[in-house]
Amino acid sequence: MTYTILGRCARTGRLGIGIATFSITVGRYCRGVKAMTGVTISQAFANERNNKLALRLLSQGFAAPSVLDHLLKNDRFFEYRQIGVIDRDGTAVAYSGPRTRGYSGHVIGDNYVAFGNGLVGRKVAEAIAAGFLAKPDADLEERLLMGMEAGRDAGGQGTAEAHKPERSAALLVYSRHPYPDIDLRVDLNDTAVEELRRVYGEYKPYEAYYLERGRNPRCALPQEQFMANLSSRAA
Amino acid sequence: MTFSIIARCPHTGRLGLGIATFSIASGGRCEGILAGVGICKTQAFINRGNDLLALQLLEQGHSPTHVMQMLEANDPEHAYRQIAILDREGNAVAHTGSGTRPWSGHKIGDGYVAFGNVLAGPQVVEAIAAGFLKKPDDPLEFRLLAALEGGRNSGGQVGGSGHLPERSAAIRVDSDPDYPDIDVRVDLHADAIVELRRVLEEFKLYEGFYRDRGRDPSTAITQDQFVSQLNAKRAPLSSRA
Repeated sequence: MTYTILGRCARTGRLGIGIATFSITVGRYCRGVKAMTGVTISQAFANERNNKLALRLLSQGFAAPSVLDHLLKNDRFFEYRQIGVIDRDGTAVAYSGPRTRGYSGHVIGDNYVAFGNGLVGRKVAEAIAAGFLAKPDADLEERLLMGMEAGRDAGGQGTAEAHKPERSAALLVYSRHPYPDIDLRVDLNDTAVEELRRVYGEYKPYEAYYLERGRNPRCALPQEQFMANLSSRAA
Repeated sequence: MTFSIIARCPHTGRLGLGIATFSIASGGRCEGILAGVGICKTQAFINRGNDLLALQLLEQGHSPTHVMQMLEANDPEHAYRQIAILDREGNAVAHTGSGTRPWSGHKIGDGYVAFGNVLAGPQVVEAIAAGFLKKPDDPLEFRLLAALEGGRNSGGQVGGSGHLPERSAAIRVDSDPDYPDIDVRVDLHADAIVELRRVLEEFKLYEGFYRDRGRDPSTAITQDQFVSQLNAKRAPLSSRA
């Protein structure tokens, strides 16, 4: 029971993941992005080695369809896995194993995979894709969040009778560095997608400040001063 | 304004990192840990490239001391960084640059470094170390948590306008290069270390379930069943109150 958007920004080549689920601390399972290389997630009954294996295969130059093929052939329990892969060219593939639970499926297009399992229905995956595609000129992190929010609003996880809350969520975006541009998490919360939006909204004004004070520490404002400036601008 | 500990478990060789700070989402800047290789954590005015560069140098076989020298040579603003490095054998080195904001400093012990900046004073890193050393047979993640709690309880961070709360915190423990053992985070909270304990304790209840259902899905119960069993175990405790 999870829903996820993997995305690549066609303009910038940035790669990212937005994920929400009933399981706790889902961000732990999201080490599936490598800058300028590709993005992948294994979910449902996740094979914990898949993400790194997929990234190594992408680094070696395999295209997304071959990577997915290798992952399935490498795994005797592949029918329990749900896997998405996008390579650096934006080719997107996905697999939703027949033994994953509940409604399980994916919607793929150039530069994205919208998918999940334990969902109320296919409309959730379709809504995630529509949310991601709604503002193609926005920053990738915003588009990923919009995808997740659309999935939530379309019913998310569970059944029509018994909704399952999102207890954890994560948002990851990489550009050209080996470390992330955006790496935000909510590990245990009753409404994790809303909380992720709140964290993102709070973090965004700090993003450039945190980068700049590291690059140019001699001119950096103390964080207390930066915050005072922030609130006086807000007032 | 951050206090941290990096450490190696002497029983298992597992590597771990604990961090708490006023800044938001600090766990998102902790990629410098790799099982079987070592840990590097740069803080204060962060050079984001440092930690992954240091891991590659450790992997090539350089000692922590030599890695630190190479980081210094690579960075014109080295004086503004606070950096701790630990290798897979527990050899440690640390650097607290003269340009970091006071009080800043570090304590190097056997298999660990406790360090921080914009702190109440040296008692904070002493308390981090004492918290870590208190129960040497505990799992590494709980030793790291006890270290952070020690740092908080001894005054934590103090900036120009007084005490600064911990708004984010994280614990990472790795034994395998492909995925973390423990990776819990609090990105924005008024009392982040308290919340981190709640998340870690809850995760520990699920840890084995999540691992086993991935390794052999054919025998896995549903998460609904697992949560029901958990709640049944919890019920007698809560009804006692």
